[in-house]
Amino acid sequence: MEPPHLYPVKLYVYDLSKGLARRLSPIMLGKQLEGIWHTSIVVHKDEFFFGSGGISSCPPGGTLLGPPDSVVDVGSTEVTEEIFLEYLSSLGESLFRGEAYNLFEHNCNTFSNEVAQFLTGRKIPSYITDLPSEVLSTPFGQALRPLLDSIQIQPPGGNTVGRPNGQS
Amino acid sequence: MARAREEAGDSQLVSGREPPSRVIRVSVKTPQDCQEFLLAENSSVRHFKKQISKRLHCDTDRLVLIFTGKILRDQDILSQRGIHDGATVHLVVRTRLKALASSATLPNASDHCTHRSEPSASEAAGMLARLGRLARTSPELADLFGQLAQLLMTAPESVVQFLEDPLIQGLASEKPAIASHVPEPSRPAQKHDLALRTLETLQKPARHQELLEASKQRLEALKAVPCGDNAMRPVSSDIQQLMLSTLALLIASKDYISGSDSCRGEANVPSYPDTTTTSAPARPVVQEVSVGAFTQGRGMTSNQASLGCKSGVPVLHSGQDLPSQDSQQPVEKASLTNQLRPLPSLLCQALHVLQQNPTLLHQLSSSPLRHHIPLLSILTNPRALQALIQIEQGLQILSREVPGLRPFLQDSARPRGARRVPESRAGRQGHREDPVHSTLAILQFLHELASACSQSTQSPLFSSFLTESRYQQELEQLKALGFANRSANLQALIATNGDIHAAIERLLGEPQA
Repeated sequence: MEPPHLYPVKLYVYDLSKGLARRLSPIMLGKQLEGIWHTSIVVHKDEFFFGSGGISSCPPGGTLLGPPDSVVDVGSTEVTEEIFLEYLSSLGESLFRGEAYNLFEHNCNTFSNEVAQFLTGRKIPSYITDLPSEVLSTPFGQALRPLLDSIQIQPPGGNTVGRPNGQS
Repeated sequence: MARAREEAGDSQLVSGREPPSRVIRVSVKTPQDCQEFLLAENSSVRHFKKQISKRLHCDTDRLVLIFTGKILRDQDILSQRGIHDGATVHLVVRTRLKALASSATLPNASDHCTHRSEPSASEAAGMLARLGRLARTSPELADLFGQLAQLLMTAPESVVQFLEDPLIQGLASEKPAIASHVPEPSRPAQKHDLALRTLETLQKPARHQELLEASKQRLEALKAVPCGDNAMRPVSSDIQQLMLSTLALLIASKDYISGSDSCRGEANVPSYPDTTTTSAPARPVVQEVSVGAFTQGRGMTSNQASLGCKSGVPVLHSGQDLPSQDSQQPVEKASLTNQLRPLPSLLCQALHVLQQNPTLLHQLSSSPLRHHIPLLSILTNPRALQALIQIEQGLQILSREVPGLRPFLQDSARPRGARRVPESRAGRQGHREDPVHSTLAILQFLHELASACSQSTQSPLFSSFLTESRYQQELEQLKALGFANRSANLQALIATNGDIHAAIERLLGEPQA
């Protein structure tokens, strides 16, 4: 039997602060943060990300954020597009509904991590997933937590990945 | 430990029976939850799947196990794949269409096995597969479906919903074929039949009503969904409405054949109200559909539907509104036949254009001229498209610059005199007609302003703008003569109706003006 087709899996990393975090974080937080990271998984020539509107997809680099600040190669997967989309639909109903979004606990990076593990068995770099705890460990972060908790990020430009019958 | 495994493996080879091997704990992670299974290290994936299917009450055929990105085949051994104690394996439960799935290019409707309530998902996917086969027989249809498929790729739920009911009914005789699940070898005669039947269903107005009703209900169900008002939903519903509108266009066109036939029997009927009389019988059909569409919550989506519905209607109106006083009938007939004849290819082109310009879709849906446009012919003519876009932008600038106009451009307008006979008729048929006529009214108004020397005080800014451009030459002359005050010059010109000499005298007599 021929070897199954391998699809590359990439992680697109965007700095939502566009460089401001790197410059201002020492002053504001007391520690150096390289950026406020938003990530998405790119596989099967599509970009998938999680926001306050649920799981969305778009052509790679197709959100309002533009091209990514860096691209991380996560690995390869045998999972076909069909299986993957079914998986995403299923995720979008259970674990990653829009209302489940929380900037600190359950954000786009949580989603990217989950999907990366599903696709390749590997996690995304820890500097991304550690960001919330980094911020919350500073007095500034703690003070602003109520405000930050209510922030919801949804980069425009994608389409929802969802179930056909519209059931929640 | 490795040796124990080796021995176990060896003894298995030798004796053929399953030797005692380590029992490992493997976690199976689904999108919904995570469960643990205890089983022997050297058991096969098939065995593993059997255990899973027992616990989850699913068919083993539908289980897809993934470990470190690799799909586990039935004949693999767990330990060979590197699955040891404490490993986590991912599980996806598929819908039961593995055979057909490969032939369908659209994403399948996913369904958790415990929630499987109706077979509609599998039927829909089967439908898609059959559409694919259909497309291969008839190239024109293929184009159309391809465009549809691409346009709706972004909203897979709409695909399934939209195609579900009507096509199931239309291709009802194919149902036995679904059950077999075998990708059939080509059966040309049957496929040709299918193609014909689909074309018929696409052209029968009665079928259309059903189709639209069904789709409308589906849309309503979609809107009522409790899972959140997704910001992305308007996109998919826009596209759905576009589909509805193109189909409604077909209805409207069909109905107008009968409308214009009766029209021809009468004597010359160029006047505005008479044509609306003859078109009135057809309008209730269109109106019914559009009224149905209006019951939906979103403004944009309902506009899209009415766009499609009205595009049949205003073709006649726009024919009448031109200042020419000739008989409009030949024009109407011509436009009708033009609309009807090359339907599938036109639809293809239209869809293609809209697909390439999603902003255009958005613009069309929000523009005040949306009711006024014969959608199809505009979309397929690139120059017309350009002109339309310019008009849109112009109207937007207009409404920004002259706030007084905005109510006319967007909301319903109040009737204004004898010319508004059709507007009263529109009033009878629902207040949504008013934007059409108000836009119409405002365009006529502008036309009047432009052609006649404006004494209207309704919008002084308007008249001033127009007269300024009219008096451009005179203004230049006055400037050359040394009258630097442009506004004074303009006022003088307006007062003297463009008479430059009188204007000069006026200006000299009132140096402060």
